[in-house]
Amino acid sequence: MNCPSCSAALAPGARFCENCGAQLGASAGAPAPVVVGAGDHPLGDAPISAPTRKPAAALPDPPAPAGRRPCAECGGEVGPDLYCLECGTKAPSERDHFQEQPAPWVAGVCDKAIRKGRNEDAMALLAGAEPGSRAVLIVMDGVSNSIDSDVASLAGARAAREVLRMPLPAGMGTPQSRDAAVRKVLTDAAAAANTAIVAVTDPDSPNPASATFTAAVLEGRRITWANIGDSRSYWLPDAGTPVQLTVDDSVAQAQIAAGVAREVAETGPQAHAITKWLGRDSEDQKPTVGSLDVAESGWLLACSDGLWNYASEPDALAAQVRAAGTADPLALALALVAFANASGGHDNITAALARVEVTGPVTALGHNDHSTTTRGGEPSDG
Amino acid sequence: MAEFSAAVYQNEFLPDGGTDVNAIVTVTCQGAGTAGQSGAGSAGEIIIVDTSGSMGPATMAAAKEGAQAALAEIVDGTYFAVIAGADRAMLAYPQVSNGPGMVQMDARTRHDASTAIDRFVGSGGTAISTWLDLAGQLFSSVSAVTQRHVLLLTDGENRERPGRLDDAINRATGYYQADCRGAGTDWQVAEIRRIAQALLGTVDIIPSPAEMKAQFQEIMRNAMARGVADASLRVWTPQGAEVLFVRQVSPTVEDLTNRRTPVNPLTGDYPTGAWSDESRDYHVAVRVPAKAIGQEQLAARVQLALGSDVVAQGLVKATWSNNSELTTRIDQQVAHYTGQAELAQVIQEGLAAKAAGDDATATTKLGRAVQLAAETGNDEATSKLRKVVEVDNEETGTVRLKRAVEKADEMALDTASTKTTRIRKEPTS
Repeated sequence: MNCPSCSAALAPGARFCENCGAQLGASAGAPAPVVVGAGDHPLGDAPISAPTRKPAAALPDPPAPAGRRPCAECGGEVGPDLYCLECGTKAPSERDHFQEQPAPWVAGVCDKAIRKGRNEDAMALLAGAEPGSRAVLIVMDGVSNSIDSDVASLAGARAAREVLRMPLPAGMGTPQSRDAAVRKVLTDAAAAANTAIVAVTDPDSPNPASATFTAAVLEGRRITWANIGDSRSYWLPDAGTPVQLTVDDSVAQAQIAAGVAREVAETGPQAHAITKWLGRDSEDQKPTVGSLDVAESGWLLACSDGLWNYASEPDALAAQVRAAGTADPLALALALVAFANASGGHDNITAALARVEVTGPVTALGHNDHSTTTRGGEPSDG
Repeated sequence: MAEFSAAVYQNEFLPDGGTDVNAIVTVTCQGAGTAGQSGAGSAGEIIIVDTSGSMGPATMAAAKEGAQAALAEIVDGTYFAVIAGADRAMLAYPQVSNGPGMVQMDARTRHDASTAIDRFVGSGGTAISTWLDLAGQLFSSVSAVTQRHVLLLTDGENRERPGRLDDAINRATGYYQADCRGAGTDWQVAEIRRIAQALLGTVDIIPSPAEMKAQFQEIMRNAMARGVADASLRVWTPQGAEVLFVRQVSPTVEDLTNRRTPVNPLTGDYPTGAWSDESRDYHVAVRVPAKAIGQEQLAARVQLALGSDVVAQGLVKATWSNNSELTTRIDQQVAHYTGQAELAQVIQEGLAAKAAGDDATATTKLGRAVQLAAETGNDEATSKLRKVVEVDNEETGTVRLKRAVEKADEMALDTASTKTTRIRKEPTS
């Protein structure tokens, strides 16, 4: 088989041309979705209510990109050799830079970053057509010193997306029952990601692929998140106090918990060592799960450390969002990626965003006061 | 059907702030077939023999024999003509005064042309511009001919008002190709080289009449093997970039930089003439605006174009890196051909200085030539240089001019100055 773009010979099963970097056919490239069998149903034996199983409620995949994107540098047409026909800038392969926009109010960008050899980050998004209805943001960061983590992270993110395609369960009606059912679904999503990673890992790999996992689900005014490792979810209200929703499973986080200043811990030698991950050698695949009800307009952000490395504090990230000055989620994601690249671009960058628009009357409790939001679920999986 | 391929040899890594990208692009043609046989048009061959009074009996006899041997190499069906050149050009065959000035080769026309050549008698002067112009008129008289080639033999200096020859060269440039040979030592290498370079052909000396026949046969055999009538080297460079030079560097050094025809604002065509089954190397140097460390971009698309069809492409890249191990390496091919291009230049400059009586400059230039020929493994240049200079130290380029030098040896060094040698290739990417 030969590359359709440059005619170079291809290795069997190759997803990208070694010579020109062209992405090969979708059949060769797309990781096989992990089918969740009846025996390990995503909702397991948790009590479920009938409406959540309605197929009509399942969110469709984001539309595939239409043709080759114009050159990121000058807007020129990109040639079949994957270089811009005007300025010669190398167009990234679809794996090195991709965008998803399942609905006008939800979008994400997953980018290799200028200083990194390949993109081991992955992202998978879902959204309902109606703004603010329902969005799923999944971000995974392949651990760079493990083999094929770029393949693994994308397979994992897409497998988790399958589990989160249906609305989260409402349980038996009590908050406790609901939280338990939701936690079960998000745990299943992480498990599906893990299964997918193991499935694409060479059984003989001396250094099996591994990845972080963060999922943020918006349903109406409720955000639910799950996390393993150091990818993060943030709630960035337009006016109120921004918050980091997830808590990293990292050495830095452990140091912060022990009293070390965040800035010191996150720049130390062990700053990027994670204490939990997904993959064949993972010991604990149970995510930390939490939820938050929001009462004001703002952005739900899921991102990898390639972004938060340069703006870790919620206020710093919120400042970047304000600086971008756009209400379009794709433009904002691109702006955040550009910010990270401009700040150094040392690690793969993923930014996935859902816009929350609260237009109803301001409640008596006031929408600027963070204390009005209610935290549910469990702060840790203890 | 001819198939072309292109391979690029370069070090794509530039240091921080680096702007100049050098690459050797090897273009190879396979399955070229025979001239005029592709169905796209007929081939035309014109043989021009100097019949001025300076042609001695031995040279004239050898020239006749050579021209007849060349006729034997022309494939049947090819349009051809024979010109006798002196202070004006005479159409020796076919003997027509109007209408098509070329006929198709077959047993009868080959015989008749041979008979016409037998009647050549040397008399008169040398006005090469008239020879070139008549060749152009003959080609244009047969519209079926789309691939045009001339074999030109002279033995003397052009005796025309300055500028006439250059005007005729300009009229012929891009219309037909010409391989030129000088018999004996009374002709001017620089003058004939100007014709050959403009008309995308070769130049060489035939020092003794005995070599005439073999040279003519070889030239015509090569011409007949060029089954691809015409092609261009097409070079695209990005917005804001500057083409520093485009040079053919193998089999000979030919600077094409000033022969660019714009295709669009970012792309230009450089003429390459007809192709046989062969491989040619081009040195392309491009200046691009520097980008940030880690950025990669295309510095040039180097393509071979047949008309508007691009049949092969090589990509010249630039990647900025702060790894000095990567950025300080000079590609072996680029280094080799940079040396070979300089070698051609210093030989020509050295001989010109010697002819002008500037022995100091001649010694320096030819010394450098000896050094470069040794460094780049150009044994032919080395042996030809050793006939002109005494070499004291090859490595440092220390030489003395020989007191008595055969004129033919000096001219052979001059005509061969642009010939390059190749080195083994290992793809860099």
